[in-house]
Amino acid sequence: MSSIYLRRRITNWLAMGFSALATLIGLTFLAWILWETLRQGISALNFKLFTGITANGDEGGLANAMVGSLIINFLGIAIATPIGVLAGTWLAEYANRTKLGETIRFLNDILLSAPSIVMGLFVYTIIVLPSTVLTHGSTSFSGFAGGVALALIALPVIVRTTDEMLRLVPSTLREAALSLGVPQWKLTMQILIRAARSGIITGVLLALARISGETAPLLFTAFGNNYMTLNPIDKMSSLPQIIYQYANDPGDTAHAMAWAGAFVVTMFVLLLSLGSRLVFSRNKVSHD
Amino acid sequence: MTDSALAVNTAQTMAAPLADTKITVRNLHFYYNGFHALKGINMDIPEKKVTAIIGPSGCGKSTLLRIFNRIYAIYPKLEAKGDIVLDGENILDPGYSMNRLRSKVGMVFQKPVPFPMTIFENVAYGIRHHEKLSKSDMEGRVEQALRSAALWDEVKDKLKQNALGLSGGQQQRLCIARAIALKPEVLLLDEPTSALDPIATSRIEQLVEELKSEFTIVIVTHNMQQAARCSDLTAFMYMGELIEFDNTEKIFTKPGKKQTEDYITGRFG
Repeated sequence: MSSIYLRRRITNWLAMGFSALATLIGLTFLAWILWETLRQGISALNFKLFTGITANGDEGGLANAMVGSLIINFLGIAIATPIGVLAGTWLAEYANRTKLGETIRFLNDILLSAPSIVMGLFVYTIIVLPSTVLTHGSTSFSGFAGGVALALIALPVIVRTTDEMLRLVPSTLREAALSLGVPQWKLTMQILIRAARSGIITGVLLALARISGETAPLLFTAFGNNYMTLNPIDKMSSLPQIIYQYANDPGDTAHAMAWAGAFVVTMFVLLLSLGSRLVFSRNKVSHD
Repeated sequence: MTDSALAVNTAQTMAAPLADTKITVRNLHFYYNGFHALKGINMDIPEKKVTAIIGPSGCGKSTLLRIFNRIYAIYPKLEAKGDIVLDGENILDPGYSMNRLRSKVGMVFQKPVPFPMTIFENVAYGIRHHEKLSKSDMEGRVEQALRSAALWDEVKDKLKQNALGLSGGQQQRLCIARAIALKPEVLLLDEPTSALDPIATSRIEQLVEELKSEFTIVIVTHNMQQAARCSDLTAFMYMGELIEFDNTEKIFTKPGKKQTEDYITGRFG
């Protein structure tokens, strides 16, 4: 009798110990990354980092890259969100359990795992090259093209989360609304999207977090710019691209600034994730 | 105006020696993806009475209820054959407007499912789809529905709060208010208390008693005591067939069929 209990207790302790250890390893690396970026970048983390521009090199800062990142990310999310939410809604509410719906869901998952550099090259051929030809070279690489490339990365994330969040809404809520005579489109737009709202917002924030760190798709699209610009059809700089550039620079100051930039991006993503968790837990709607 | 209309309705019911038939079901068959779930149901559901449908799990009682407002039709591969005549018209006729059917036949489900909006909006939402009302008329209608559902006193000071903050029993009464706000003629209740505690259950049963003066009520329940307590007529179903349909008192005291008796006395089910 007691030997069974003892064995169970030992198994329990072992399983708990291993999972705690695994968690600890994961968290250690996260803390280590944060600590390392902070330690290496602290000397460059100053007021100048947020006001100076990269054209001034060691005497400047990363302001143009930060502003560029904000604009490109905003464009990416602004393009991907309406398309992604509508496509996800269509998948969950109109094409659920149909062959076409399943096929599109599968293709969306492929897009989700497509290498990001492919998006950059794709946008390079469909936007950057044609605009260069059409404008005889006066417009080629642009923040807008960068935004489109990031939108293509954010899109499948938003489609997927919208689809999943809507499918989590219990079917009884659909039946309740339809039994009042409410038509399908009203049910979808006014009740289901509202019921799944916090999940959908979380998906958009996670997509934003995902694209904030992307470098490869921007190299062939936004290109980079050492001066401050707010014009989306101009070449534009971004934090990940500058981190890449400065990390390849031989100077110690440039290295410190790259680390500081990395710290800023990491903190931004961390705060976004925390923010999205907060949105989700605060508005979590339970029907059970 | 509504009060007088109600008084007239009540007077008519009392004047009539026998209740009129509200819903006539004739030779109704139902198929789930080929599975024969209802096998030739015939029944006459009287107006402004409570009709309970009982039977063991899987007997088809919920299936039958879900045909009365054609809510089954939102899922593919389900098929109903036969006639269900509501006020002289066959609701299974494809030409019968879904919008009209659902404003005449309201439904309350097993689990309370408030919409993710305020208490006021939950009730106003359905009304707004069918009628254009001024702000004050709308407020009146919402109040009236909440009063009829015996919820008004508990929520009148928090109409602007999210309905998901209410207790389960309150949420279910809100769902009843939402359904009766459309002034339907028939109210379908699909095991409305199975997710509620005994106190909330007794409030709903009391409410059913009060509502039958205005609505024809059909209630599906797995709880025989509930059927005995709050219905006028009881239908016993088994394996997709209607075994017996009679006055509740008769069903529970001297049932006509052996199967009914076995179920009532707990020999199976």
